[in-house]
Amino acid sequence: MLRANSANTQDFRFWALDVSDNFVYLSTFHVKEIKMMADRRRINGPPGGTRPAVFASNLQSGTSATDRAQRQRQPSELRKIFLKTGLIPTASGSSYLEFEPSASLAAARANPKSLIPPSSALKLACTVHGPKPLPRSAAFSPNLVLTTHVKYAPFAARQRKGHIRDSSERDLGVHLETALRGAIIAERWPKSGLDITITILEAEDDRWWGSAPDSHDASWGMMNVLAGCITAASAAIADAHIDCLDLVAGGVAAIVSDETTGASTGAPKLMLDTDPAEHRSILSACVVAYMPARDEITELWLKGDSSKASLENNDDRTGHEALIDGAVDAARGAHTVLAEAVRESLLRTVGQI
Amino acid sequence: MSNQRQASSASQVPHLSPAELSYLYTSLSLPKTPIRPDGRSPTQFRPLTAETNILPGTNGSARIGFADGTQAIVGVKAEVEKTVLSNETLARNDGGAGHEHGDQEGSAAVGGHGSWVQMSIEIPGFRDDDALPVFLSEMMRESLVGAVGTDETSDMTGGLKGRLVINKRWHWRLYIDVLLLSQPLAYPLPLLSLTTHLALLSTKLPKLKSQGEEDPFFDDDWAVAEYLYPRPSLSSGGKKSARSSFVRPPVTLLVISVGDNIIFDPNREEIAVADAVLAISITRDSEAGNLKLLSIRTVDPPSRLTPPGVPNSENVSMLGAVAPTEDVAVLNPATGEEEVPGVWRPRRGGVKRSVIAEMVKTALKKGGVGEEVLEGLEGVEVS
Amino acid sequence: MPLDTSTTYPLTKLRLDGRRWNELRLIQAQISTNPASSGSSYLSMGNTSIMCSVHGPAEGRRGDASGTAGGAGAIVEVDVNVAGFAGVDRKRRAGGSDKQSSRIATTLRSAFQSHLHTYLYPHSTISIHVSVLSADGSLLAAAINACTLALVDAGIPMPGLLTSCTAGMSGSASTPRDPRNDELDPLLDLSLPEEQELPVLTVGTTTCVPVGENNMDEEEGEMKVAVLTMDSKLHCTYLDTMLAVGIDGCNQIRELLEGVIKGSSRA
Repeated sequence: MLRANSANTQDFRFWALDVSDNFVYLSTFHVKEIKMMADRRRINGPPGGTRPAVFASNLQSGTSATDRAQRQRQPSELRKIFLKTGLIPTASGSSYLEFEPSASLAAARANPKSLIPPSSALKLACTVHGPKPLPRSAAFSPNLVLTTHVKYAPFAARQRKGHIRDSSERDLGVHLETALRGAIIAERWPKSGLDITITILEAEDDRWWGSAPDSHDASWGMMNVLAGCITAASAAIADAHIDCLDLVAGGVAAIVSDETTGASTGAPKLMLDTDPAEHRSILSACVVAYMPARDEITELWLKGDSSKASLENNDDRTGHEALIDGAVDAARGAHTVLAEAVRESLLRTVGQI
Repeated sequence: MSNQRQASSASQVPHLSPAELSYLYTSLSLPKTPIRPDGRSPTQFRPLTAETNILPGTNGSARIGFADGTQAIVGVKAEVEKTVLSNETLARNDGGAGHEHGDQEGSAAVGGHGSWVQMSIEIPGFRDDDALPVFLSEMMRESLVGAVGTDETSDMTGGLKGRLVINKRWHWRLYIDVLLLSQPLAYPLPLLSLTTHLALLSTKLPKLKSQGEEDPFFDDDWAVAEYLYPRPSLSSGGKKSARSSFVRPPVTLLVISVGDNIIFDPNREEIAVADAVLAISITRDSEAGNLKLLSIRTVDPPSRLTPPGVPNSENVSMLGAVAPTEDVAVLNPATGEEEVPGVWRPRRGGVKRSVIAEMVKTALKKGGVGEEVLEGLEGVEVS
Repeated sequence: MPLDTSTTYPLTKLRLDGRRWNELRLIQAQISTNPASSGSSYLSMGNTSIMCSVHGPAEGRRGDASGTAGGAGAIVEVDVNVAGFAGVDRKRRAGGSDKQSSRIATTLRSAFQSHLHTYLYPHSTISIHVSVLSADGSLLAAAINACTLALVDAGIPMPGLLTSCTAGMSGSASTPRDPRNDELDPLLDLSLPEEQELPVLTVGTTTCVPVGENNMDEEEGEMKVAVLTMDSKLHCTYLDTMLAVGIDGCNQIRELLEGVIKGSSRA
């Protein structure tokens, strides 16, 4: 049903022109018109969108390809992660995670050419409730019953999200559950339940906002979101003092081909912790949930064509193996942040006693 | 019911005792020669019956029944729809911003859009927004949409998405409805994926009579309709070499690892003791003729939720009854945990990278399982 | 595209698909199609095709209301699923089930709950799953016939076969019947275009268990109407004609289904 809705939604953009400056300032907001459930109590806008006049002379300077965000990190350099536990006192465990905004975003903020930020950075909050007794009606379970909810805030993405979880959010929930269930020692809590709720306050983009929605429509941003969810949930579970085999960290790697201007058409390259807004074309991406102490993967999600990757000459790994190894390296990086956050959480608990 | 809904794969844990689980695990993890409950070899699929074009009201349909009685029916319907270009794209094309022009048009008109393929899965006992149907349909759709053909000469440039483009303003929308007719006895992924593959192979679209950017109109004659995935013509003799050059829909294989063994198409007893469960989507590479990987997803192994067995040393009622030397914990090389032989412990932790690599290699190997499955499906008579 | 039966039918006395007024569509049926269920069937009436599977009688699920309510006899559960590709246009159901399929499910449940000898299975559930693969009119009638076959395959005792058929009335059925002109145009087994245009009645009949030796040959007298639904407006003077046509159709279908059951047991 939700998919049907999104097919019927229309998206109007309102453009505000400031001609004096010779720049087009764009302020966009989206009006969702859902045909199936039209609001009968109010006077609705016209069913078809109208397009404001756009002047070609302004357009050139306003939204040209030069504003596209560019990756300024090394291929193996990760974004900084802010991770803090115990921010929500009512939950038995909680954490807040934020990715460092990319350099292009910082530059755009310092020297604004457009009101639309060129890229977004992940921000999410995770709460853990439990272990708590299962409801009376539930069947006996010898293990801890894990339930995961991943929900985008309505304002999290550039397209407004509805209040009911759609299929991509449910899909993320299943991925997260798989990742965590491998790490939790579930048989220590028979007949109990654990609820993990993640609210995404700001999501990664699936593509640069200015490129056509068709240019690559696979939801690459979702993979970054999942990696963040795994890391944050792991910290929150540790904050709730639930026994785990190891802290499980999420990491993303992707094979990107950036056809940069000029002759240097790059062959597809492996990059860690990709921000989809910074790349013209992502061929393949992979997210893992990784436990460094055991060198094991509890969750793997790889998609796209990884066979074209150009690796080092002495590297005889196949594309997908290199991709998984890259994601594991990214997860190792996230794990150091995770371990530090959990250590802080522990010190705080010890201090309280 | 509420309990059933929570888990995606664990919902189908059969009620096996720890002793049975341990027996199954031991026989499946025998080095080199696993013994499966139904006597299959590790790479062998369950016998199945398949037929296509069973529903005259659809563009393509297929039915597959496994010998254990699980059946699935897939119907594919196609509708013509107007391509909605986003405001930005329109604005740019109108504005005629020189070099951007071709770029934008190209992406919208040739590339196609993933949302043009819609998939819904009906499983008895589940609502269609429960975790299992959503997870399965996302898994199958992402490999279907993600399969991008690289062959510039054929119709299938841009894969399935590209095939759906009629012209710049019109496109096909494909609805794939998957019906599981019986309660899922095992994880239903292989069945649903094979049936979807067959249904797509048999899908025909009416022949286009209009040209270029006209509003499309089609030939009424169903006999001249064209296959969505072009078929090898009969004149070429149906040789293997000719076949492999056509783009084919992807197939998702369910692979489990038990101990050191890798087992394909597990039934539900086998999946209950798996160390790791992977869903691997493959397709034929139209250029090289070999197989290529489209996506991997881990599936939560139900073995994590099974009840544990109690070794004699910890069993109060057996205290002193058995000599203590009998159950000495040994290190399981596959999981890296201490286990007493013959006593079931629910699986913990994840899967090693080397195991994943081995599973993918077995699926993609030349003459391996993937090729065998695709060959077999190609052999099904599409009338 | 409105297919106007009322203009062509009076002239040719042939219906849109070339049938005469009292002809059934081609019925094909098969039982034991799905080995994983207790009983299953496939039935197609023209372009309407239905698969049905029966599970049970089995112990009801724990925590369900049926555990307590099913004390006197088995509870019949019916689940109807109209596939998205069943109609001409692809239809996506909004979150679960739509009105049409839940109506069919309710009718089937009440029909078979009273028809089957449920008292033989206290504290148990008989669950029937109906999948409509292609819908071209007479959906409820086809579903009843498919369920009967599947229940027979499952070996659940019933007094007789419950068969169903639709009947319609062409012409101006909303005005009273003209006593001087006694020509009526009833139609048997309506297809979807006819069903959308004409008043339609679904009737399901069953036979009683023959008691005593002399009752064996007079089946006509023991006919019972088990299901009767009509949603359209019709002048009441036409009703008995439609009912008679429908019951006659049910008898024809009963013979066909008996042939299917006997044929499959021989094989």
